[in-house]
Amino acid sequence: MAGRRVLITGVANPFGARLAHRLAADAGVARVVGVDTRPVDPELAERIDVLAADLRSAELPALVRAAAVDTVVHNDIVQFPEPGRPRASLHDINVIGTLQLLTICDGLASLRAIVVRGSAAIYGSEPAAPAFFTEDDADRFPLRTRFQRDIGELERLVGAFARRHPAVACTVLRLQPVVGRDFDTPVNRLLRAPVVPTVLGYDPRVQVLDADDAVGALRRAVLHPVRGPVNVAADGVVSLSRALRHARRPALPIAAPLWGPLVGTARRAAGQPVLPDEIARYLRFGRGVDTTRMRSELRYRPKHSTLEALARAAEANPR
Amino acid sequence: MTEDDWGFDPAFARTLAPLLDALYTRWWRIRADGVEQVPATGPALIVANQAGGQPWDAAMVATALRRHDVRRDDPPRFMAPDGAFELPWASTAVRRLGGVPAAPGNAARLLAEGHVVMTFPEGGRGTGPGYARRYRLERLGHGGFVELALRSGAPIVPCALVAGGPGAVDRVLARVARLPRPPVPLPVLPAPARWRIAFGEPLHVAHHGPDAAEDRALVLELVDDVRARLQEKVYDSLVNRKGAL
Repeated sequence: MAGRRVLITGVANPFGARLAHRLAADAGVARVVGVDTRPVDPELAERIDVLAADLRSAELPALVRAAAVDTVVHNDIVQFPEPGRPRASLHDINVIGTLQLLTICDGLASLRAIVVRGSAAIYGSEPAAPAFFTEDDADRFPLRTRFQRDIGELERLVGAFARRHPAVACTVLRLQPVVGRDFDTPVNRLLRAPVVPTVLGYDPRVQVLDADDAVGALRRAVLHPVRGPVNVAADGVVSLSRALRHARRPALPIAAPLWGPLVGTARRAAGQPVLPDEIARYLRFGRGVDTTRMRSELRYRPKHSTLEALARAAEANPR
Repeated sequence: MTEDDWGFDPAFARTLAPLLDALYTRWWRIRADGVEQVPATGPALIVANQAGGQPWDAAMVATALRRHDVRRDDPPRFMAPDGAFELPWASTAVRRLGGVPAAPGNAARLLAEGHVVMTFPEGGRGTGPGYARRYRLERLGHGGFVELALRSGAPIVPCALVAGGPGAVDRVLARVARLPRPPVPLPVLPAPARWRIAFGEPLHVAHHGPDAAEDRALVLELVDDVRARLQEKVYDSLVNRKGAL
């Protein structure tokens, strides 16, 4: 496919911005169109076409059709409040936004591929879980938290779209928690705290993904479309205690019943938003995913292992 | 070597070794027969009955193999009972000793990686029967372990355990306190009766092929076969043990 034309939603967030930069620099990509209601970094805005629009706006379908994009990267998926993304709007952005985007895609004759930045949080964190979730395990446990239900719904919508449009390669990349310098993810915020609150008596197996590898996997999925969900995670699943020792972060074990209230109070005092429930469960029960599909079908190899990624994130946040 | 991707931590297992050895030699005075039946390389599925209650059964079978230098570099992994990973500390200890949640997929993956996997298909029932039935095996689940062996091609090594009153301490405590029996065995030490561990000849099922796992008749037949082998070994061990104390 010569001269790819790529649409990226949520292009103002760090994933979208970095992906847009890298795709704009790629010889195989003719045009990058970014959609976001928030201001886009001026340097990036010069290199790509920015549509300052909400996915719900009436003129967007015509604009997208005019751009004749062949690939849509749905990156506007939020796990917790960000500037310009208040808590009450998260469900609307994740689910209604996806619905609107897919409605636009319905009438887009030039479309060949959809790449969704999903999350491995869809599997949840469960004590009786498989040690390595495969892509088929998404419906094994009930969707317990708000974000889990959002991405469950979102994947259902994408799956239904894929069935209606067999010519379009639809994939959902299920990323393990992303860590990295300027990436605002739950695990990062915890790494940045003076002490990392852990759950007393629990030492779960955790697995993360370096921010660069997250962007790299998205880019790979744009340039070489695959079908269906694909787990994306760094090599290595390590116990939380070992991960924190390696990242030289002090842990503060808190008994499970007190964890929620204490951490909530501390975060409010520090002016930080409350942690979503799936993070609390992740720190108690952890999660590992099987990355066979990432290697064999997406043919992507992350550059950094779980331990390296955590060390890099910790280095970038000296405290 | 530090922990692997499963969270198994050989250093932790080594730290606990003296304690487990003391239980093995002094408390339960265990004798293990037929350890050589466990293949020296490649995957194998050890199928054992529950006799002393978890986690002691799994720990003592693993200790028996270690003391006989079988698979020293790759100790057996075991399917932990449901609920073990919900408990504080216990969950961490079980994981570091090589336990994995008994979720489908875990055992298959371990076998595919060439590990020895221990499973106790009687499940929670194993420690529950009345005193008179304490050496009678319960139903071995619904044959999931046979399907697993067929799919992976790993041999099934029956492992018969004879211990003192299965779960007796739990039951006495429960009766005295008039409480229901705890769903997870309490980590109390079972009585210092003599134990016997007897490994039987491996049952090779690979020649049936992985598709045979769908064949219910064959699966049930193999389950009965394994149960019969285990029961026979249990009775043999009882005779050889010459008294519980």
